[in-house]
Amino acid sequence: MRRYILKRVLLMVPTLLGVALVVFLLMHVVPGDIALLILGAGEQGGDVNLSELAKVRHKLGLDRPLYVQFFSWVWGIVRLDFGNSLWTGAPVIEELRIRFPLTLEVAVFATLVSTLIAIPLGTLAAIRQDTWVDYIVRVISIGGLAIPNFWTGILLILFLVIYFEWSPPLVFVPIWEDPWENIKQLFWPIVTVGYRNAAVSTRLTRSAVLEVMREDYIRTAWAKGLREFLVVVKHTLKNAMLPVITIIGAELAFLMGGLVVTETVFTLNGLGRFIVDAILRRDIPVVQTMVLMTAFIIIFVNLIVDLLYAWLDPRISYGAHRAGQR
Amino acid sequence: MRRLTVGVILLTVVTLVGLWTAPVAMAQEQPRRGGVLRVALAADPPSLDAHQEQTFAVTQPMSAVYNNLLVLDPHNYPKIVGDVAKSWKVSSDHLTHTFTLHEGIKFHDGSELTSADVKASWDKVVFPSAGVISPRRGNYQMIKSVEAPDRVTVVFRLYHPSPAFMTSLAHPANFIYPKKHLDTDPHYFKTRAVGSGPFKLKNYVRGSYVELERNPDYWKKGLPYLDGLTYFIITDTSARTTALRSGRVDTELRFLPPVDVHAIKQQLGDKVVAARIQSIGSFGVTVNAGKKPFDDERVRKALTLAIDRYDAVKTLSSITNLELIGGVMHPESQWALSQAELEKLPGFGRDHAANLREAKRLLAEAGYPNGFKTVLTNRNIKMPYVDLAVYLISVWKKIGVDAEHRVEETATWSQSRLNRDFELLIDPYGSTTVGDPDEMLDKFVTGQPENWGRMSDPVLDDLFSLQSKEMNEAKRIQLVKEMIKRILTKAWRIEGLWTTRLEVRTARLRNYEPMPSHWNNRRFEDAWLAAK
Repeated sequence: MRRYILKRVLLMVPTLLGVALVVFLLMHVVPGDIALLILGAGEQGGDVNLSELAKVRHKLGLDRPLYVQFFSWVWGIVRLDFGNSLWTGAPVIEELRIRFPLTLEVAVFATLVSTLIAIPLGTLAAIRQDTWVDYIVRVISIGGLAIPNFWTGILLILFLVIYFEWSPPLVFVPIWEDPWENIKQLFWPIVTVGYRNAAVSTRLTRSAVLEVMREDYIRTAWAKGLREFLVVVKHTLKNAMLPVITIIGAELAFLMGGLVVTETVFTLNGLGRFIVDAILRRDIPVVQTMVLMTAFIIIFVNLIVDLLYAWLDPRISYGAHRAGQR
Repeated sequence: MRRLTVGVILLTVVTLVGLWTAPVAMAQEQPRRGGVLRVALAADPPSLDAHQEQTFAVTQPMSAVYNNLLVLDPHNYPKIVGDVAKSWKVSSDHLTHTFTLHEGIKFHDGSELTSADVKASWDKVVFPSAGVISPRRGNYQMIKSVEAPDRVTVVFRLYHPSPAFMTSLAHPANFIYPKKHLDTDPHYFKTRAVGSGPFKLKNYVRGSYVELERNPDYWKKGLPYLDGLTYFIITDTSARTTALRSGRVDTELRFLPPVDVHAIKQQLGDKVVAARIQSIGSFGVTVNAGKKPFDDERVRKALTLAIDRYDAVKTLSSITNLELIGGVMHPESQWALSQAELEKLPGFGRDHAANLREAKRLLAEAGYPNGFKTVLTNRNIKMPYVDLAVYLISVWKKIGVDAEHRVEETATWSQSRLNRDFELLIDPYGSTTVGDPDEMLDKFVTGQPENWGRMSDPVLDDLFSLQSKEMNEAKRIQLVKEMIKRILTKAWRIEGLWTTRLEVRTARLRNYEPMPSHWNNRRFEDAWLAAK
């Protein structure tokens, strides 16, 4: 197992390097120049003085050859220096530090909410297949898939204002500083994202549980006269969880950079909005670092999910099977 | 019946008296101290140094932290008044401007603001050192030197007389910084703020908010009235609208689409004021005269003749902020052509059928009797860029011109514009101060960096140069009008429509009037919030 983990960790390095190179090249293939935006090219009354433009490009290091730009960035990463944002001039790591806690909190809690909703509801719908319980769960989950996040978010905000004359605060306070203020701001975004993700996981849980319940060993369990609770929880659910955990892991990883719409609607200063703004501005160091970070999170979460497989299904084993074969 | 009549009369009298006295009562309202004005800021400031940035996202929040040499009078636009300048005099040859400063002005760190600080700040804008960006430096090419002969005197020496000089000095981004910090690090104010203004920077979280608190030692005694200002960075338009509707912010200082403003008014009624301001900005089409067939005046003229601007106003004003017909100077300004003068120019006449006939005739004469295909490059912003383009593409079809709509995001669009990689380009045009001809019309001068259409017209070059040095305002107006007529007759720019700006604010905000540019009047030093 240790050997397997080590191998996966080592494989991260070329994967991340490949990701970095592809992103770097893509960002340079796409037309657009941050120096122009800094000089207000899109602003009313913006002047673009060519000597100033050259000066800005030089200052940002954009007039250096591409390979020099790339390797100086990679060398920075080796030293854990992710460079400075071309837009703000601040270290990229500092920009991420401001936004990371909020996104992490929303992603983790939304995944938690979604899991807490999806697994019981999906299981219930499966064991009560084609009853009114199943129909209600299916309506709820299809609703979650069909209704866009931004619409739910805007409705929630307006509903709270119109009926309760209350709206969530605009300023993020970390949960360890003031838990109540933090909950006031992030409760509704978490519920909105959690509901959307629960819709996917509920449907997946339902079909996975249905599939497992048709297996011979479940029929045997019923025939042995085991209680429903034991059959469902001990024998069915554990085996049905493999695809569900995969999708929950993938969604958690996706949320680390994919909360753009929710962050926009609820005015949250998170990583999703940040990366979109950075792409639009051609803020190359920020985009590269963010993509690298997202790639790392996805690889890491996938590793955890793979390790969970072994725990959930004893037939899956990493490393030991080779010895066993011999 | 008689009692009813008397009742109605009494009710009418009471109502009329009420209506008559209400404004008087409001006018007599005493300024109220306290309260924090919460503002939705439509973009994320790249840094806090307005000298080095070209975005309202810096000037809007930071204007309250600093003072300028001159400003536009917040209560009497477009008059220019002194800010740290108490008075000034101009030499008879208009080449030397001498400013006397107020005494006793203190920066937030307690140090005194002197002429040395004014000189250092202006030197940074006009003669920036290596590594310092000055995006508006081009506006100050008339300045030869800035001198500080004593603690309260600043002298600007010019290369040539410039009627635009005072206006350019009143640009809202030219804050006065303490010299001692500029001396140690010209980038000091990118991340910090030490001003002399009515508010001090309390907190700034990038991407989230800028919080300002009252400066109790402000040199203008008794001011400010507000306890603070908080700018919440909300870049999405619908999120800003929702923030206003939900009362999370009190005002939005850039502009909102008419449909959003309507929704806000419907929900909040008299609790908000929606000001409609004639901003100094227009949207039209820059024609690449360096590419065929747009090097042919007849083709350009045909394109402008095909637009029925009177119909365009009716169609576009309900969905966009495009509301006014005008030439290439603001239609409400002293520089504008009269309606009669305007209607004589191609595309501005009222007989649209005749205009279309003339357009087709010109195209046929130029060798395009069946029209031609072209590309209209645009920015991916719906209002008003895409809305205007859709309208233009539909009207050009009437003369056989088939324009493909190429929509690009801002970074790509601005690069296409810089590289002249377009045939037709939807292009905004405007001013962040008062719309002086020097600021507006330099785009039509041969070789100017912002002459995106590569036009070259020696007559325009001469007219621009003459008006730029003409100190007699009446003569200057005549020169500018000649220039406008020439630009529109030759169709160097296909003018679309001029914009208005819808600015929504809480009705509790008093002693504040918005200006045409969303950059201006952002200090709020004598504004106050009425009780809830």
